[in-house]
Amino acid sequence: MLILKNISKKLGGFHISDVNLTIPAGTYYVLLGRSGSGKTQLLELIAGLNKPDSGEIWLNGVNITHSRIQQRKIGLVFQDYAIFPNMSVYKNIAYSLTSGRYDKVLVKEQVTRVASELNISHLLDRSTHHLSGGEMQRVALARTLITSPELLLLDEPMASIDASLKDDIKRLLRRLNRQGLTIIHVTHDYREAVSLATRVGVIHSGRIIQEGTPDEVFRQPVNRFVARYAGIRNFFRVIFVNEGGKWKAISHNNLEFRLAGNSYPSEGLLILRSDDITISDDEQVSSSVNTFRGIIKEVLPSEYGIEITIDAGEIFYIDVSADTYKNRKLQELKEVWLSFPPEAGIALQGADR
Amino acid sequence: MNRYGPFNWFLLILSSLVLIFLVAPLIGMFMETGASEFFATAKDKEVQSSIWLTVWISFMATFFFAIGAVPFAWLLARRSFPLKSVVQGIIDLPVVLPHTAAGIALLGFISRDGLLGKIAGSVGLNLVNNPAGIALAMAFVSLPFLINSARDGFAAVPERLEKAALNLGAGRSRVFFTISLPLAWRSIITGFVMMFARGMSEFGAVVIIAYHPMIAPVLIYDRFSSFGLSYARPAAVLFIIVALAVFTLLRILSDGRTPAFTKTEDADS
Repeated sequence: MLILKNISKKLGGFHISDVNLTIPAGTYYVLLGRSGSGKTQLLELIAGLNKPDSGEIWLNGVNITHSRIQQRKIGLVFQDYAIFPNMSVYKNIAYSLTSGRYDKVLVKEQVTRVASELNISHLLDRSTHHLSGGEMQRVALARTLITSPELLLLDEPMASIDASLKDDIKRLLRRLNRQGLTIIHVTHDYREAVSLATRVGVIHSGRIIQEGTPDEVFRQPVNRFVARYAGIRNFFRVIFVNEGGKWKAISHNNLEFRLAGNSYPSEGLLILRSDDITISDDEQVSSSVNTFRGIIKEVLPSEYGIEITIDAGEIFYIDVSADTYKNRKLQELKEVWLSFPPEAGIALQGADR
Repeated sequence: MNRYGPFNWFLLILSSLVLIFLVAPLIGMFMETGASEFFATAKDKEVQSSIWLTVWISFMATFFFAIGAVPFAWLLARRSFPLKSVVQGIIDLPVVLPHTAAGIALLGFISRDGLLGKIAGSVGLNLVNNPAGIALAMAFVSLPFLINSARDGFAAVPERLEKAALNLGAGRSRVFFTISLPLAWRSIITGFVMMFARGMSEFGAVVIIAYHPMIAPVLIYDRFSSFGLSYARPAAVLFIIVALAVFTLLRILSDGRTPAFTKTEDADS
């Protein structure tokens, strides 16, 4: 188990501030944050490449705050892998075992085993200069895993590899986690969190602003920033009104949303996940759904399908699959109906949050 | 139709003039040196031993000072410390000092009354008019070339490679010898060759410390002042040929053993 207690660190004009985290053994923890949010710096503090100004770091019951980097049993895979260009793949993987303390036969055995696990046995004699992103990723992982770390830190592991290789790497990381390895994975892409994490933290300006299971974080984001990180793009500035015991939200453009909850602030943001919105050709007449007529303004391909922008008095962004787009003929300027249940609306207090 | 605009022609003419200025005196010197004079000078034992002494002392000075200068360059590239810019200024000082002034300053340090002179004297060594003193004079004026080049080389090695090595359990010294040094090698060798070259060509500081034994630049000056241009010229030509041969050899050796390395930026997140 990794415990961070009130970790703070000043780095030039940037602060990691009062970070508290408890990550149970065996967790796949994804730390989401933008570039410059402090996620890499936090990893470096955990790994021991930097020392915190205050606070404590505990790993499996041992206070490692002031332990030497080499004694922490924490493996760190850097964003662009930090493969040593002056060494072959074999020497990169064997680096931690070749300080003279290890028997050469044992080193070869270990390198062969870990290379085989990661399907890179055929690369061992190669120079590192012409490896693909995916191959470098595996070499970097092999080089770290050979040290048998108790905790694996991954800095943007998907950032430099082709989309086609991402699924392979995800499968590999899931397998390592299932084998009991605790993993902290930092990324700016919420989809990596959705597909891998057992717990998620969102870091912004050096602070952890929300933490929990992926479901908690993505279904109940505490503010607009986290909501954006959860891939939500539908934000409406609203006032909340109680009419005869039933709540509704009225947007600045006078769109009225029926809501399901029992308590709302007087004003704030109403957010809607794209997945909760249905597009149809006809109006769905029901008191149990919100329905709006709109015009498709823009159709853009996105990484996982098609993003449809609909003007229904407010602008809605909805992701659909390529098949849905084709079958439903969702071309620009087409009139469509949007519907979503009252319980889909998530309210955030304060208009600017 | 003319492929080049007037500005390109302007640049070409200016560049050619600068190049001619650099090459013309050397070509003139080579052309004015007769073969018989040249070979007679090449057989002259005094000239031979002077050139050999110059090459040897400069190489040894560069080699021994590199042992301290290279780790110092790493420190400058990687660490922040109080008054770092002052330290950097001190390193560059010999480049801007008049070399005779540098020689005078160094003489005060290594003469029998100076700090280093006293220490050397205690073991029976007089640094003035001694190859060791010449080596110190050469190193004094040429060290900035090695330190600055090595520092730039270390700075170009992505720090995350060193961090990755530390994370893999290596100690600081192992990281230095297996990662930093091999990856900065090309710049270190360039600095080494530059320091060696600068040391070999040094006259001003050396002549204050040691007129004898006579290194090649002092010998050339001595022949010029005593016997004139025609007597000094063949020795100068021979010295230039030897120097070029040595630099070329060092370059070939260093290129052969240096791993190709391209700098990539540190990840910013």
